[in-house]
Amino acid sequence: MNTKKGNISYWLFLIPSLVAVITVILIPLLYGIYTSFTNSDGFNMDFIGLENYRQLFSDSQFIESMWFTLKFAVVAVIGVNVIGLGFAVLVTQKIGRVTTFFRTLLFTPNLIGGLILGFIWQFIFNRAFVGIAEITNIDFFNGWLSDPSTAYWGMVIVFLWQMSGYIMLIYIAFLSKIPTELIEAAQLDGASALQTFTHIKMPLLAPAFTVSLFLTLANAFKVYDLNLALTSGGPFRSSEMVAMNIYNTAFLQYKQGYAQAKGVVFLVVIVLISIAQVYFTRQREVDLS
Amino acid sequence: MKKKWRNRLKYLLLAPLLFILLVGCSDQKSTDSGKGVKEIEFFNQKPEISRQLKELANTYSEAHDDVKITVTTIGSGEGAAGLQAKFTSGNPPEIMMLGGTSEIDRYQDTLLEVSDLEVTNTIMEDLLEGALIDDSLLAIPMNVEGFGWMYNKEIFKEAGIDPESIETFDDFVEAVEKLDQQKEDLGIEEVFAFSGAEDYSSNQFSAHFTSPEFDHSILEAYEATELNWKYGDQMKAYMDLFNEYNIQPILGVNYSQSVEELFINSQVAMVHQGNWIVPTLNGIDSDFVEEKLGILPVFGENNETAKIVAGAPWYIGINSDIDDDVKEAAKDFVDWMYLSDEGQETLVHEMQMIPPQEGYDVEDITDSVSQIIYQEMLDENTSAMAHNQYPDGWFQLVLFPEFQRYLDGYSTWEEFEKNTSEGFQEMREQ
Repeated sequence: MNTKKGNISYWLFLIPSLVAVITVILIPLLYGIYTSFTNSDGFNMDFIGLENYRQLFSDSQFIESMWFTLKFAVVAVIGVNVIGLGFAVLVTQKIGRVTTFFRTLLFTPNLIGGLILGFIWQFIFNRAFVGIAEITNIDFFNGWLSDPSTAYWGMVIVFLWQMSGYIMLIYIAFLSKIPTELIEAAQLDGASALQTFTHIKMPLLAPAFTVSLFLTLANAFKVYDLNLALTSGGPFRSSEMVAMNIYNTAFLQYKQGYAQAKGVVFLVVIVLISIAQVYFTRQREVDLS
Repeated sequence: MKKKWRNRLKYLLLAPLLFILLVGCSDQKSTDSGKGVKEIEFFNQKPEISRQLKELANTYSEAHDDVKITVTTIGSGEGAAGLQAKFTSGNPPEIMMLGGTSEIDRYQDTLLEVSDLEVTNTIMEDLLEGALIDDSLLAIPMNVEGFGWMYNKEIFKEAGIDPESIETFDDFVEAVEKLDQQKEDLGIEEVFAFSGAEDYSSNQFSAHFTSPEFDHSILEAYEATELNWKYGDQMKAYMDLFNEYNIQPILGVNYSQSVEELFINSQVAMVHQGNWIVPTLNGIDSDFVEEKLGILPVFGENNETAKIVAGAPWYIGINSDIDDDVKEAAKDFVDWMYLSDEGQETLVHEMQMIPPQEGYDVEDITDSVSQIIYQEMLDENTSAMAHNQYPDGWFQLVLFPEFQRYLDGYSTWEEFEKNTSEGFQEMREQ
């Protein structure tokens, strides 16, 4: 009886978000895919078929950016999750009020926008590090952002700094959901803290891994603001991530059709990787109920 | 079951309808509001003059009841993309600041021919060239900017170097070595603080050596399909020189460190910059410009001829796709900006710009460096701003990375020339 009414309100409530999704995601996506088959400069466009995609595979800078992003994502995803989980375990120890303080403290970097964070760290790498180098005479601290390999690590460090606190929150939520009986039972059976962690907590955290890995993976691939503020792709475009490569193609060279083609390829890559990740981590999830 | 589906379908259809409705509502142009008032939007790409420009627009609007001028500012490298967004959104500005020939070329179909403006006759002949598309003049040069080696007069004096006596490149090298030997006595860290972290630094610097290849003509530079580094040896000599005596790591030196810290605090003797740093320097230390700032030209084409690069990096264009009376108002505003006393006063003193027009008293221009640039411009003794005419994206995506590679020892000069030339040709063709 109430199915009809339910249906009406169901769709009524859905309409605003549907409109939003269609207008800001679906239509631009379809239009973008169409644009990738043209030679659009943002002003005029002609259909040129698959030419952009053909060009893409011989674009060494794009391939290099893809590799850089991939290398960045792998290290960043592992790092963020290890550190985030570590933090989460630390601040869920029952040692009184200080844990709240540390939770807030560790989460704070995430509240600062990527651009600001980038500039702050640029200052740290270019000034504080150089200052240390001058005092201690250790060359290790010199010119971090002006060398390709250290610029890479600079990006990774700042990303870890930014994301770990956020991922920590997710792990905290899942850690505190683990029933205490289970842990007590394990302790009664004589399990050490490490054993409880690896055999009880880790398997029960599987859903948390699914969520966190997905979030970090997607974020690590799409980094732009941090990249722009910290290295701006430098030195000599060695730290240019795919998002920046696409932006530069579209708005510095005005080859928007070509940039769209890059965007489409990039989208496909992210979707494939994300689906694979979610599929594999889902398999490890256990159902308690 | 069937009914349910029909219902669903009904609402599904509602969604696109709502969308169309929303789009329909937002498409009304702002000019419709207020009867008889001609609304003019001035699209500005220079954030540093946004306040002064607004004041100027207000003064004009107050004197003309039927005209309302608003200023929109998007700058710091995003201006071009911002302007494009304005056009694609169907809400193009009536007056727009354009960043050189390539932008004028891009919007040529919607730009008004401006040769009949009163101000046009007063503009320096050389500057108009950059706004000529198929022999029609589509924009007015906004101002003149010039650059070279900005040096600290006091340091030069203490080191016993007379800048006037630098007549050849060898003299310049000698002066640099002399400065380097007395580093401790002079209290400087290094001779140069070239900002190797900024892409536009490499771009501007290259103009000294590409301008002669294009006969110091911006139009020729714009039409060039290749760049052969005819004067590359000269550029290499300069780069090797400043790289040796520069703050290191050179690739880490950014604008703010170079100008706002090292140069103004007399910790380096020279930076490669232009007159646009004058307001910034004035803001930090009001005596610096007056007492210490000087400009040295660059020996771009050979060891004996030194020139400053000067020209108009910005142009003002008027939208041709608007009502005739609005067009007239826009033209009148541009004329007023450059010809009226209030306009000229604001331009030269408030915005501290070098005017693109002939006929100013050199003494009227605010600072000594700008005076030199204006005078050189009048004497037609400058190199052209060839760097504004490179293919879109070339300097950010090819020149700058290769420039950095060479400075950092990752590649040889031959590789630099080869890669940049190839990139130039490739990007020009598209």
